[in-house]
Amino acid sequence: MKFVVSSSVLLKQLSAVNGVIANNPIMPILENFLFQLDQNQLTVTASDSQTVMITTLEVESNESGAIAVPARLLLDTLRGLPEQPITFKVDSETFGTEIISENGRYKLSGENSIDFPKVPQVAKSLSVQLPADVLASAIGNTIFAVSNDDLRPAMTGVYVQLSAEYTNFVATDGHRLIRYRRSDVKSDYESTMIIPRKALNLLKSSLPSDDTTVTADFSQSNAFFSFNNIRMICRLIDERFPDYENAIPQNNPNVMTINRMELLSSLRRISIYSNKTTHQIRLKLSTNELIISAEDLDYSNEANERLICDYEGEEMEIGFNAKFLVEMLGNLSARMISLEMSVPNRAGLIIPSEKEESEDILMLVMPVMLNSYA
Amino acid sequence: MIRKIIHIDMDAFYASVEQRDNPELRGKPIAVGGSERGVVAAASYEARKFGVRSAMPSKTALRKCPQLIFVKPHFENYRAVSYQIREIFLEYTPLVEPLSLDEAYLDVTENLKGMSSATEIAREIKARIKEKTQLNASAGVSYNKFLAKLASDYKKPDGLFVIKPNQGEAFVESLPVNLFHGVGRVTAEKMNKMGIFNGADLKEKDEAFLKKHFGKIGGYYYNIARAIDNRIVNPERSRKSVGSENTFFRDLETRAELESGLEPIIRDVWKYCAKTHIYGRTITLKVKFLDFHTITRSKSALSPIMDKDFFERISFELLEQIYPLPKGVRLLGISLSNLESTDDMIGKQLTLAF
Repeated sequence: MKFVVSSSVLLKQLSAVNGVIANNPIMPILENFLFQLDQNQLTVTASDSQTVMITTLEVESNESGAIAVPARLLLDTLRGLPEQPITFKVDSETFGTEIISENGRYKLSGENSIDFPKVPQVAKSLSVQLPADVLASAIGNTIFAVSNDDLRPAMTGVYVQLSAEYTNFVATDGHRLIRYRRSDVKSDYESTMIIPRKALNLLKSSLPSDDTTVTADFSQSNAFFSFNNIRMICRLIDERFPDYENAIPQNNPNVMTINRMELLSSLRRISIYSNKTTHQIRLKLSTNELIISAEDLDYSNEANERLICDYEGEEMEIGFNAKFLVEMLGNLSARMISLEMSVPNRAGLIIPSEKEESEDILMLVMPVMLNSYA
Repeated sequence: MIRKIIHIDMDAFYASVEQRDNPELRGKPIAVGGSERGVVAAASYEARKFGVRSAMPSKTALRKCPQLIFVKPHFENYRAVSYQIREIFLEYTPLVEPLSLDEAYLDVTENLKGMSSATEIAREIKARIKEKTQLNASAGVSYNKFLAKLASDYKKPDGLFVIKPNQGEAFVESLPVNLFHGVGRVTAEKMNKMGIFNGADLKEKDEAFLKKHFGKIGGYYYNIARAIDNRIVNPERSRKSVGSENTFFRDLETRAELESGLEPIIRDVWKYCAKTHIYGRTITLKVKFLDFHTITRSKSALSPIMDKDFFERISFELLEQIYPLPKGVRLLGISLSNLESTDDMIGKQLTLAF
C-alpha cells in the first residue's frame, strides 16, 4: 500500500483527532492511528475505546489497504518537516511503514489494522442538526461545572434534554449547576442523554467557529457527531442524572442586580485575601449596597469592598466560594446580572439580565456556611 | 485492668410512674399506650403476668388480658424522673451513658465517692432512686456492658445481681441465645436452625463462620460468647437518628389519607431539627401495613438537608414509592440519620440536595 500526501495537510488532520488518544491506553494498539486507504481517500481513526474520532482526507493513490501507525512518532516527525509532499509505503506482511520525504527516509513499525477495535456503527434512533457555534457555546457554558467525582458518574458529563420546544444542556458538580437552554435546537422526539466530558472537550476544540451544520445522531448507548470531514462517536454515560429541576429554588425574594464586570473584578481582588482552600468570601447586602469581604485568619489578611448595586429584599449575609463565582461570572457575557437568593443556606441563582436570542442561561451556586442558621 | 460497670434499668418504667401518680392504678394490670390501635409502650408487672409485653399490639394485649387498663403516656413525667435518676448517677461517676429514659450504663471503676465495691454502689443507687422517686430499679454489676445488662435483667424486678470476673464465661455459656442483647428473634431462629441454642453452642463456632453467616456483627457474637465486650461507657454517645412515627386510629387507604397522615410527622421531625440545629443527610420513611409487614424507603442527599421544603418533598417522594398500595397502612414514620450539627458546618461548602 502506497500513497502520497502533503505533510501539512496530513498533520492538520491528525492533530484534529489526536486528542482522543490516551497517554497510557489499556490496549497498546490504541497508541496508534488507524489508516484506511481506499484509492485517493484516506480515513484516519483515533480511539480511546470510549471515544472515537475519524477524519478523512484526499491523498494521491490508486491502492487500498489499512495499517495502524504509532501516533506520537508520526506526529513528531510531521511537526519537524517543512511543508512538502511525502510518500507512505506500507509492507502489508511486516506492517513496516516507510515515510519518504525530499531528503530522507523514516521507518516506523506499524501494527496489524485488524487489531484496532471496531468502531460502533450508527444505529440511529434520533437525529438533530445544529450550528457548530451553537454547540460550541452550549459546551463552553456548561463544561466547567461538570463533576470530576467518579463516584457520581452521572455528573461527569453534560446532561442533554431534547424536546420539541427547546434543548437543555445541564452540568453540575454538586456545588453548582448550569442549565443552558437553546430554543433554536429542537427535536420532534423527547429524549435525554449524558455525554461524557472528554468527548465534549474534544468536540469543543475541533468544532469550527462558524455556523457549519453539525449532525448529532443518538442511539441507546452512543452519540455520533459529524461535521465537515470529521466524525466523532462516544459512549453515553448510562446513569440517571440527578433530579436537578427540584434543586432549583423557586422563591427567591432577595434580588441583587449588578454590573457583571464590576462584580467580577471586585471578587478577583477580594479573593486574593480569602482562605486559600475554601476561597470563602462574604456578601453583605443591604439597600442598594453590596459589601464583599474576605479574611484569611491563618495569615491575618483581610479585605473588603463596597459596591453599588440594585438590591431588593431583606438585609442578608451570605458566603460563597469566590472561585465558583468568578468562574461562573467569567463565562457570561451579559453587561448586567442578577443574583437571586432566599436564605444564606440555600442556593443562589445567577441570571444574566439581558438575553441573547434563543438562549437562556441559569446558574445556580450553593453557599458556604457562615454561621448556624435555623 | 478489670472494669466495674453497672447497668441500671427502671422496672416497668412508664407503667410504674403511672401507678405511682395514680393510686387507683396500683396493683392492677395496666398498659401505657393507646387502647384501640398502636402498641403497648410499657406494661405493669400485674399485666405481664397475663403475657402482656411492651411493643405488643394493643389488640393482642387486650385479648390476653381483658381487664387491662390502658393509660395515656405522660412523657413529661417520665422525662422528669429520668432527670432525677441521672442526677443520682452523676454523684457517683461522670461516666454515665444513658440508653433511654429508663436505662443507663455507669462505669464506676473510678468513682467520685472512692468506694471500692461496685455492688455497694449499685445498692446505694437503688436505694436513692427509691427514696427520691418511689420507683424500683434493677441493677446489674459486672466487668463489661454486655454482662452488666444481662445481670440487671436476671433478677428483675427490684433486683441486684453481680457477675464476677470468674463467672462471666460460665454465665454466658448456659444462657439461651435469644436472651443475648443484640440477638433478636430472627437471628435467634437462624442460630437455632444451625444448632446454636445457648452460649456454649455459640462459643464452638469460629469467628469466620459467624462473620460469614451474620456479617459484621458476627465478630461481636464471637466475643460475647466468650463474655468479652470492650465497648466503653461513653457519656457523649450522640444521637444517630431522629424520627417520629404515628400509628393511626384507622388504617389509611387512600393517597389523601396517607399524605395528611405523613404531614404532622414531617412537621415534628423538622421541629426537632430547627430547635437543635441538627440536620440529617438521609431521610427514611417507615411504613407498617395492617398485617404488621413493615417496609422502609430512604434517600440520601450529599449534605445535611436544611431546607424544609426539600425535606418535605423528599418525604413525599418516598411515600410515592409505596404506591400502588398493596394493603392498608397502620403506621407511618419519618426519620433522619447521618446527622450533623450546623455548628460544625461553619465554613463548609454546601452541596446541592440530590
